[in-house]
Amino acid sequence: MGKLADAAIVGVYQTKQGDLTAKTQPSVWWECVRGACADAGLSVGDIDGLINDGPSGVGLRDMMPAPGLAELLGHPIRFHARNIVGAASSAAGVNLAAYAVTHGLAEVVVVANAVAGQARGYGSVNRDEAVATMAKLSGPYEYVYGTTRVSDYATLAMRHMHEYGTTPEQLAEIAVAQRHGATLHPLSVNGHRGDITVEDVVSSRMIADPLHLLDCCAINQGAGAYLVTTVDHARSLRQTPVGVLGYGEGHNHIDPNAIESLTEFQGAKVSADTAFGMAGVSRDDIDVAGISDHFTIGVLLGLEDAGFCKKGEGGSFVDQGGTSLTGRLPTNTSGGFLSFSHAGMCGIFTLIELVDQLRGNAGERQVKDASLAFLNGVGGAQQAHAAAILGRV
Amino acid sequence: MTTTTTTTEYRKFLPEGIPDSQMPFWESLKAKAVKVQRCDDCGAYLYIPKDICSKCYSTQLTWTPISGHGEVYTYTIVRRAPTPAYQEEAPYVLAHVTMDEGFRMIAKLNTAAPEDVRIGMPVRITYEDVTPEWTLMFFEPAPAATG
Repeated sequence: MGKLADAAIVGVYQTKQGDLTAKTQPSVWWECVRGACADAGLSVGDIDGLINDGPSGVGLRDMMPAPGLAELLGHPIRFHARNIVGAASSAAGVNLAAYAVTHGLAEVVVVANAVAGQARGYGSVNRDEAVATMAKLSGPYEYVYGTTRVSDYATLAMRHMHEYGTTPEQLAEIAVAQRHGATLHPLSVNGHRGDITVEDVVSSRMIADPLHLLDCCAINQGAGAYLVTTVDHARSLRQTPVGVLGYGEGHNHIDPNAIESLTEFQGAKVSADTAFGMAGVSRDDIDVAGISDHFTIGVLLGLEDAGFCKKGEGGSFVDQGGTSLTGRLPTNTSGGFLSFSHAGMCGIFTLIELVDQLRGNAGERQVKDASLAFLNGVGGAQQAHAAAILGRV
Repeated sequence: MTTTTTTTEYRKFLPEGIPDSQMPFWESLKAKAVKVQRCDDCGAYLYIPKDICSKCYSTQLTWTPISGHGEVYTYTIVRRAPTPAYQEEAPYVLAHVTMDEGFRMIAKLNTAAPEDVRIGMPVRITYEDVTPEWTLMFFEPAPAATG
């Protein structure tokens, strides 16, 4: 007991991504949790641990979601923790869940993310409202000038192009590869729009130079959940267990003025090095990756900082479909934030796709013989990083 | 919602939640002579305002005038702004600038020619009283700094 590798992801579920305003957050949360239990062959009543948020409520119900969940399940929740780091929260949740089940603190832990209903701010399906709310996240020293989440990443992309000669066409390759994956996933938000080309991306409307509309993630609602238990328990359940072989975090900066480089993020490197070190595997062993892709540049930076290529070589790595289903490292194979879903703690969808790949359940998106996966979650504009190595056990 | 006659005309975001300890920065903008914290112990400039030096962990920080000159480290041209008030000004340039003192600051770069902005371009600080209460600093293109 006590090693993360003794924990496994055993159940996953996700809704159709898009506009869930006709539903409520709690109803969608429960839909996902019930779905993940059914997938695993567990009962909802087996849950005794909770990570991050539960069904939403007012006041104490939001501050302390575990007591409310315990009341509904009819037995105590034995472990609750939060690691709220934006899109990385769900990746970070796998560590907390694995910790709980490998230390006897809980047996079956649920991690869910649900954005639905008449959500305001970031959760709104109203694009203007979501963009305006997110713009103020950077704080008054930046937002007074009309910064946006896109401009935060655009400045990183501009600097990367300056230092390394990365091109808009190379970034576009990432969007093209991911859109194709989304067309092969019926739950994706953008798959129905069909395949796109590099030319489509670079000729789409410029949002913040050098990032075009098709370099940017979707704004949508959606939900997903996964369950973690011990590998021993997992062996008696329905699905091929997906082990948590390694994990690491690297929190980097909050103020982009205060770090030396905006093209190289030590926190991302530390998170990946920790995860790879724990798992005892190398970059070359990875069959499939999931890397936070709020914008195309995020994938390129993530690949470099995780050590899949040298700093500055991300452009040539992703060129010619490097991250596509048949590329050197298939990445975000269901479409990622760009084309699958960018709802709430959206790293959960990145993780669920890796579980599908490792189970061999990815259908037409299946990466042949995928047995080892790298997961990266990013909060903010490369500010907080979580990394995990997942594998068949 | 609290509004006053002096701020209803200004529809862009104003600073909110600034702690008293950071007000010397905003007061220096109002005086049109920006001051930034400098560490008494190691000499590092710190921006945005901090409570501790990130280089040597000293808490002895002094508000210090700066030259106001620097060069563009990176930038973007915003075409899709966060709100209608900002959209009226789009396209506009946001720049991260390496100041002559060696630290970076972010601000809008006022220019009639956004497409001409380049990394490495010399810029200098300028000020605008956006409301009677608040003055913001901006960048504008400058002749190459001497020395």
